[in-house]
Amino acid sequence: MSALLLYFLTIVLMLLVAPLLLSFIKGIKMWLLYKRPVSILQGYRNFAKLLRKESIVSREASAITRVAPFLVLSPLLVVLFYLPPAVKGAYYVSFVDAFTITGLLALSTFFLMLLGLDSASSFGGMGSSREAFISALVEPAMVLTIFSVSMMAGDLGVGQAGVNLAEHFPAEHMASFLFAAISFFILLIAENGRIPVDNPETHLELTMVHEAMILDITGVYLALIESAASIKFVIFASLFAGLFLPFGPELAWPLALLVFLGKLFAVALAVALIEVHTAKLRLFKVPNLLGIAIVFAFLSLITFYVLGA
Amino acid sequence: MVDFLIGVFLATLITALFTTRLYRLLFWYALNSLTLGLLALTIGTRLHDRAMLLSGALTILLKAGAIPYILKVLSRKFALVRQIPPGIKTQYAIMLVPAILVFTFYLAEPISHMVQGNANYVAVSISSLFLSLLLMIEHRNVAPKIVGFLCMENALFLLGTTATEGMPMLVELGIFFDLLMAIVVINLLLYREEAQS
Repeated sequence: MSALLLYFLTIVLMLLVAPLLLSFIKGIKMWLLYKRPVSILQGYRNFAKLLRKESIVSREASAITRVAPFLVLSPLLVVLFYLPPAVKGAYYVSFVDAFTITGLLALSTFFLMLLGLDSASSFGGMGSSREAFISALVEPAMVLTIFSVSMMAGDLGVGQAGVNLAEHFPAEHMASFLFAAISFFILLIAENGRIPVDNPETHLELTMVHEAMILDITGVYLALIESAASIKFVIFASLFAGLFLPFGPELAWPLALLVFLGKLFAVALAVALIEVHTAKLRLFKVPNLLGIAIVFAFLSLITFYVLGA
Repeated sequence: MVDFLIGVFLATLITALFTTRLYRLLFWYALNSLTLGLLALTIGTRLHDRAMLLSGALTILLKAGAIPYILKVLSRKFALVRQIPPGIKTQYAIMLVPAILVFTFYLAEPISHMVQGNANYVAVSISSLFLSLLLMIEHRNVAPKIVGFLCMENALFLLGTTATEGMPMLVELGIFFDLLMAIVVINLLLYREEAQS
């Protein structure tokens, strides 16, 4: 199969699997709590339902409310094109580094925060300020982590780093690799608003972060925002799969894609298990968790530099 | 493989530093000892050292199984405070822990030149020695101090296993018995503390 075709196939697969992963997490959680789990297809159903609904915009809202959902989604769609390849021999973008990816994610978050502020409800402002608080702490740790992995892989480009890791796994740098993986997993949880940081399922006012910003959004716009959230999860899960579980791409392409999907679902399973086992942190305790992420990212860099382990 | 285990060892110790619950702290200690035992088993199989294999198995049995369980039973018996907020604020600990690590990594540099082969492990074990010292001094309660002491013993064991390719068997067995005696002494200590209060 041609390289370009495989590239687009992977991206389409990721887009398709994105709502599936979030419903999978929800289903696992409900199953572990002895509830009747939701169908794994619930994400698609919600999307179809929201597309059919009328979209109502608040009277106070400006043009930003109409534009921002697209601008929340589009940087994430661009990031999908820069991820490490799931199949060996597929086309990939080699020159995009940690700053670009973090910057694009931050751009998406910025428009989400604007959207929250624009509806002029007090919830939106509260949610936006909390999101700004969290994402300001996430970004330095994320840059540090991806840089440290790039150092071990020997290339600053994220896609190229994934390829290098799959070809030659740095077994001698296992310790710093592990620290980077721990740090990245904490970031994955924080940036996707999963339970120790934010509860995606509640509309209880004291705990909302992401939901507070999109409380006034309806119809097609809500569908866009929801799909942006699921795509963000897929981006983080596939970055984790590509950089920290670098095995599988050398198989034949259908098998390699299957292994890739398996890794995505394994990450989702881990997130679901953590969500069941932990309580949500107080908002002012969140910096401690992200501080631990920064400690591990830094530790990964210094063990790599000083010890070479 | 050994690098991975060393990473897990250090990671569990750092996580233990930030824990605020006693049972969670005991769990991290058990995990820490488990990786230590696995490390001894791995190095033992590589060196074909029967004594080291034995001490690794004993580490897993005693330190990862028995001692955390005994401590849990003791803490239930004496109704110890299970909320153990660290005395050093997390904000400062976030800065302190990497500083300690950098300092010890550079501190261990001259020593690690003397050790052949696995020089990194000396640096990691010395830094975990300092981290468990931090674990002891950052808590006010008795129980986390005990865990810090046990972690310090783990760090010394790591140093012994990796730097010298295994201490003599007699010494290690002696250390194990000392540890069990220490647990008995801790029992008495807690008993006295309860009698006084």
